[in-house]
Amino acid sequence: MLHIKCPYCGMRSQNEFAYGGDANVKRPELNKEVTDKEWDTFVYFRKSPRGKHLELWHHISGCRQWFKVQRDTLTHEIYKTAEIKEDI
Amino acid sequence: MKTISPLKNILKKGLFGDHEGKNEVKLIEIKEISKLLIVQIAQYKNSSFQIENLNIDGLNLPNDALKVISNSDSRILWCGPKNWLLVSKKKDLLQILNKSFNETDFAVTDLSHSRAIIEIEGENSIEILKKGCPFNFNELKKDNCVNSVFNGLAITIDIINDNPYKIRLFTLRSFGESFYHSVSDACLEDGFKVV
Repeated sequence: MLHIKCPYCGMRSQNEFAYGGDANVKRPELNKEVTDKEWDTFVYFRKSPRGKHLELWHHISGCRQWFKVQRDTLTHEIYKTAEIKEDI
Repeated sequence: MKTISPLKNILKKGLFGDHEGKNEVKLIEIKEISKLLIVQIAQYKNSSFQIENLNIDGLNLPNDALKVISNSDSRILWCGPKNWLLVSKKKDLLQILNKSFNETDFAVTDLSHSRAIIEIEGENSIEILKKGCPFNFNELKKDNCVNSVFNGLAITIDIINDNPYKIRLFTLRSFGESFYHSVSDACLEDGFKVV
């Protein structure tokens, strides 16, 4: 089981969180012309790195906030967590 | 609107579990708490209103994680950034809240009918919670609260007292029966009384 440090509540068990996907994905800008390929890439294509990965997590059974987690996909070590507006 | 207790037909008064030969005073006590006003207060993200200026029944909104501010009638629990739960015996407080909170800055929602509340009291109360909840309870003291899970059910834990422990547990009304059975199962080993 992972222990994840919520930036708002502190260290909590993984049971209280929901995984929210890759935090590097950027939605195409509003009102910008988007090709089918760009949209397809945004919606479906994800990298699956072996090592450090920036992820979104949701503290669904706690403060209900979204935040960023930098996690090693190989060892599950969590290097850093940050509020959604912060950079890692 | 009349409040209907969510656990009225579920809790049976009496002694249960391994209580024989034990001092009844030292047994864990379980009871349902009803007829409380429960209000969720959420400040909008783009609101710049200073919460220090607010006063509810003589209480300010707590800004620190896990913190509860209380007086003899009301308790305000920190539930997340810009999110609080007000629990009060004063039913008329809702009208005062609706007047004092600006609609453009806050969402005030009456949850009184949608929560089941169980209060457990006794020295071993924390050990009962540890059986179903992954939170590190060594960090929790009097007037602390935490949102977590108990056997998969989302709950809010409010530590009213820590010597001896008196803990109020909130869950969704529809989870109430299942939650009560989870808590009472955890208490069987020590023996418990329902009052």
